[in-house]
Amino acid sequence: VSLLLSILLTPQQSDFWSFQRLRRPDPPAVRDERWARTPIDRFVLSKLEAKDLTPSPPADRRTLIRRAAFDLTGLPPTPEEVDAFVSDPDPAAYEKLIDRLLASPRHGERWARHWLDVARFAESHGFEHDYDRPHAYHYRDFVIRALNQDLPFDRFVRWQLAGDEEAPEEPLAMMATGFLGAGVFPTQLTEREFERARYDEMDDMLATTGTAFLGLTIGCARCHDHKFDPIGARDYYRMLAAFTSTIRSEVEVVLNRAEHDAQTAEWRKAQEPLVRARSDFESARLPARLTSWEATAPDIPEPGWEILDLREFTSAGGAEFKKREDGSLLIGGANPNFDTYTIVAATRQKKITAVRVEALADPSMVGGGPGRAANGNFCLTDLKITAASLDGAGEPADLRLTNAKATFEQKGLPVANVIDDQLRSGWAVDPQFGKNHAAVFEIEGDAGFESGTLLTFRLVHKCNTGHNIGRPRLSVTSASRPVPIELAGPPGPAFDALRTPAARRSPEQVAALLDWYKRRDPEWIRLDRDVREHLRQAPRPKTAVVMVCSEGVPPMKHHADDRGYPHSYPETYVLRRGDPTQKSGVAELGFLPVLTNGDGGWEAPGARTSMRRTALARWITDPQHGAGHLLARVIVNRLWQHHFGSGIVATPSDFGAQGARPTHPELLDWLACELIDRGWSLKHLHRLMMTSAAYRQGSASRGRESAADDQNLLLWRFAPRRLESESIRDAILSVSGLLDSTMLGPGTLDENSRRRSIYFTVKRSKLVPMMVTFDLPEPLVSIGRRAATTVTPQALFLMNGPQVRAAAEAMAKRTGEGPAADRIARAVRLALGRAPTPEELEEAVAFVRDQAAGYGAEFPALADYCQVLLGLNEFITLD
Amino acid sequence: MNRRELLKRAGGGFGALALAGLLDDQRLLARDADPLSPRAPHFRPRARAVIWLFINGGPSHVDTWDYKPELERRDGQALKDFDNFTGFFANAVGPLMKSPFGFRRHGQCGKWVSDIFPCLARHVDKMAFIHSGHTDSNNHSPALFMINTGVTRMGFPCVGSWAAYGLGSENRNLPAFVVMSDPLDRGLPKGHSLNWGAGFLPSVYQGTWLRPKGEPIDNLHPPAGMADAQQRRQLDLLARMNRRHLGQHPAEQDLAARIESFELAYRMQTAAPDAFDIRREPEYVQSNYGLHRPHCAHFAAQCLLARRLVERGVRFVQIYSGGMENQRSWDGHEDIRGNHAGFALETDQPIAGLLADLADRGMLDETLVIWGGEFGRLPVAQKAEKPGRDHNPHAFTFWMAGGGVRGGVTYGATDEIGHMAVVDRVSVNDLHATILYLLGLDHEKLTYRYNGRDFRLTDVAGRVIAPILA
Repeated sequence: VSLLLSILLTPQQSDFWSFQRLRRPDPPAVRDERWARTPIDRFVLSKLEAKDLTPSPPADRRTLIRRAAFDLTGLPPTPEEVDAFVSDPDPAAYEKLIDRLLASPRHGERWARHWLDVARFAESHGFEHDYDRPHAYHYRDFVIRALNQDLPFDRFVRWQLAGDEEAPEEPLAMMATGFLGAGVFPTQLTEREFERARYDEMDDMLATTGTAFLGLTIGCARCHDHKFDPIGARDYYRMLAAFTSTIRSEVEVVLNRAEHDAQTAEWRKAQEPLVRARSDFESARLPARLTSWEATAPDIPEPGWEILDLREFTSAGGAEFKKREDGSLLIGGANPNFDTYTIVAATRQKKITAVRVEALADPSMVGGGPGRAANGNFCLTDLKITAASLDGAGEPADLRLTNAKATFEQKGLPVANVIDDQLRSGWAVDPQFGKNHAAVFEIEGDAGFESGTLLTFRLVHKCNTGHNIGRPRLSVTSASRPVPIELAGPPGPAFDALRTPAARRSPEQVAALLDWYKRRDPEWIRLDRDVREHLRQAPRPKTAVVMVCSEGVPPMKHHADDRGYPHSYPETYVLRRGDPTQKSGVAELGFLPVLTNGDGGWEAPGARTSMRRTALARWITDPQHGAGHLLARVIVNRLWQHHFGSGIVATPSDFGAQGARPTHPELLDWLACELIDRGWSLKHLHRLMMTSAAYRQGSASRGRESAADDQNLLLWRFAPRRLESESIRDAILSVSGLLDSTMLGPGTLDENSRRRSIYFTVKRSKLVPMMVTFDLPEPLVSIGRRAATTVTPQALFLMNGPQVRAAAEAMAKRTGEGPAADRIARAVRLALGRAPTPEELEEAVAFVRDQAAGYGAEFPALADYCQVLLGLNEFITLD
Repeated sequence: MNRRELLKRAGGGFGALALAGLLDDQRLLARDADPLSPRAPHFRPRARAVIWLFINGGPSHVDTWDYKPELERRDGQALKDFDNFTGFFANAVGPLMKSPFGFRRHGQCGKWVSDIFPCLARHVDKMAFIHSGHTDSNNHSPALFMINTGVTRMGFPCVGSWAAYGLGSENRNLPAFVVMSDPLDRGLPKGHSLNWGAGFLPSVYQGTWLRPKGEPIDNLHPPAGMADAQQRRQLDLLARMNRRHLGQHPAEQDLAARIESFELAYRMQTAAPDAFDIRREPEYVQSNYGLHRPHCAHFAAQCLLARRLVERGVRFVQIYSGGMENQRSWDGHEDIRGNHAGFALETDQPIAGLLADLADRGMLDETLVIWGGEFGRLPVAQKAEKPGRDHNPHAFTFWMAGGGVRGGVTYGATDEIGHMAVVDRVSVNDLHATILYLLGLDHEKLTYRYNGRDFRLTDVAGRVIAPILA
């Protein structure tokens, strides 16, 4: 029963600190007014003063620029930048520095990586085959660009949950939905696992949403009410319902919508007079020109092909047909192994001597087709045609086909096979793909009825799996035999018109005749060519295929499709013990009661999609009635953690009862209010935190403070820390001058790549070893905080890794010419942003001399020295 | 939350390790400089190390260790009420099929053993057989994840990672947890490295995969052209500069640990290649493992290396027999006879050699050897030109030897045809609980706090299989 009822909230639970609505606290009074540069400092200092502790003296400028540069951009400052900052007389030099770093495109590359950990971002499915998701990198690019342009955080969140619904025209919003689909998915499934796999997939979406945005372990309520937090199993399934029809898809996204719309409008303006000139010509001058042509024309030509107007068309195998203006049928949807098309068409013709079956090329098929097989081929096995009178009189008759010919015949599969009554043989066109093909069959005896003829075609494909024609077109003629594949003469109605005296022609006949004649009128041809050429110049939008998560879109294909995996189910049910075989009622969309205060009007009427995720996104970002207050607390804390080394709440992804309590609750709330009041600007928060006196403290340990608070919970100093794997590698590339700063786009698995580490493709089964060695987490579940271990493979990498050695050599080259002492000094400045001490210099000169003696050359000795610098604690420690 | 608060909230049920795990996650021991330092077990360990011979692809219990005379009698008969969706191919279900192999009794315990294991049959008195294993998936990778991590989904730490996390390493010159895969280009097990991943545990606990060809691990050799003396001087300079830096930051423990890690790495450059060099073994040892016989030399080399690693303090070794699916592993969908006879030939003598060698050296008592894969196979045939057997999640056989396990015993049983485990059923959680127990770890106390929850290898289940303990 407890499963069916939202668990009752005790007053105690809704009073829990993180669930309470925000109230903006006043910064407290402090004794040392001069130390506090920002309101943050008052909150920090008052706690220190209460314990009778003092903050540390500020760090020197060299330390500060290094700290700020690594923190905001993940890269060390250049020696020139260090010099400029150290000698800047402007009292606001530091604030200017922060603004400059925040404006750097490198900032997004650095901070996106923090969020990608939280988003368990990867570019492969995981599980048995770990197939690639080649278009998933757009999500990574979305995060980088969103952070660089300071996209308001509430929109950043809403787009990740429902960008396809909120702003489908905005490419970044579409890319953002990659968040939902970044989790793992088993691409090899047995039927028995289908539904469970779908619930697992939705659970991944919901659990990550809860952890990443709200710091709540909602996923724990899948099997039972949450043990510690007020999240009922029923609440879990009601939220899960938001994702009922959400699936991964690869869609083409227009990247320059506005620009393209403007270009198209411009182009249309130019197109209009050309089209008008042609139609004016057709109405004003064409009939007269036809008359004069008729007067001078030689004989009435042979009749040509009449492209049939198709009335009915069905696929035995569930394929879908789309009628094209040119009379062809474009076939899409299911491509069964062996399909039979039944096509009914009518013609006024009374005497039919031959039929033509065209298989036209189209870009929708592999290699342009003209077949739907994996290589673009088709194999037409059999053709049967029945003719009946249009007025229904008389008996339908099967036509006897003979004398088949084709534009091209694949070796061993000639077109004669189509009429040999064998269901094993057929007509195919390998290797002539990507072009139009046609076959002509003459009819033994003439076909046709006085009142017009109804033709039923059966195109049978039975030779080879999936070898179905992709874009057929059917024509008939009454030309005399032998009938060639191409005929220039007028098609049936025009041919009849031509043989009818002008005065007796019906309007339809006139129209048919004009339509045929104009194609041989030089003036019309010229006007038509102008229209067509302009058509070819129609502006094309810039597009990209993007992996998105949305509804009503074609699912991303994978291995499990072979067995008929449905990708989604119509309803989400409340499950007992998380077991799909134990359903207890449909789960209606709903949100966590403990974070809901009245109705925020989040629901939106659905259009193409159910808009359920939009409702979720609005609820989660609504600080008044929804969960926005907790959302703000959680992101503020994540930012704080990366700047200060540890969060105000030490468990960044658990703000529930099992998580840590905030060390500075008022400060956290003050910052959360500040975020919301300043339009959810993250850069505002970065600036606020980094310009505080608390952030600018030195990192030296001090006895009294250390004894009283060894974990620095009260922030009596800046907590020194090891750089993360990306920063270590990027710094090595940067100081050695090897860094390739190309932004965005597809990544790589090549360890020798010189682009920033965020551009390594994240393939779940092939994480880049050097990244993992320095604690890159496995991208399987949301990670709010990385480990920082010290293990021997790290040392081995720095001692022997080929990439490190290559960087050391490049760095040695970069130190230029001159005496070893100068080059050493330059290397130290590159790596550490400072000059060597006399002791260091002396020691280094001796080292280079000794090594050079062994090598018989100075360069490898200098490279050895540079490599030492890259292995220094000072190089990879932020302090 | 401070330590006192944490202890108070955690209550009395937590062991020291659980607490350490809790603290690790919250970074309260943020500068735990050496995550692999040896840690005290919960109680006296029976085994110091584990060698898991992973019979990859799902070995057929009824053709190996679980003798079913009834299957012989009913050969060719349809199995009534059989659910065709039990295995992977619902449309290829055939009738009951007897084993293509003969069975004979061996050892003092009189265990019936398939004729494909002539060498292993001599060691049955060392083995404890578990015939009643069952798992949650009929599909390779979920079943692989299940047997390795206790969960069919991916993303959870495997047994070896839990062991390394719980006990640390006894030899800092070598990884704590080593994995070897098929060296004959037949691929990795399905799910690849996720089978030895650390999940949400720090990545330092993941298995170190030895490359089957070329250098087994990365960065073991100095850059080209750099002599040992030159690298030594380089490291001396590095240490001098780092120590000076440490002098300015005396409170930072991780700086000291990192200085030490370079010295460890320097020693590892010698120690690891030494451990990997199985040619240093006497000729007779090599030949006992079958190193001179082409059909099993590759697996013999891996078994011998496993012994050398365990001898040097490596905690957990996993060797995968076979690569990916179908004929590349024990996944005998077609031609079960050819498939199993072939893989048995590859592994029989090497594993027997390993057991004998461990016993000779007195190492078997403290080394737990495990034989088993991700599921069993069905008693009905999978139709094919040469019939095979499909996946069976309802029954599989494991054996364990050494490391505190009683030899010559059989635990649990399948039904008379080997379709379902029916007597003393053993879940994957039970197997894991037993392995941890033999290592001196209480599966209920070995926990790791991740995103607000204390995770266990055995989730909320698992019981130690007491009757097989020595």
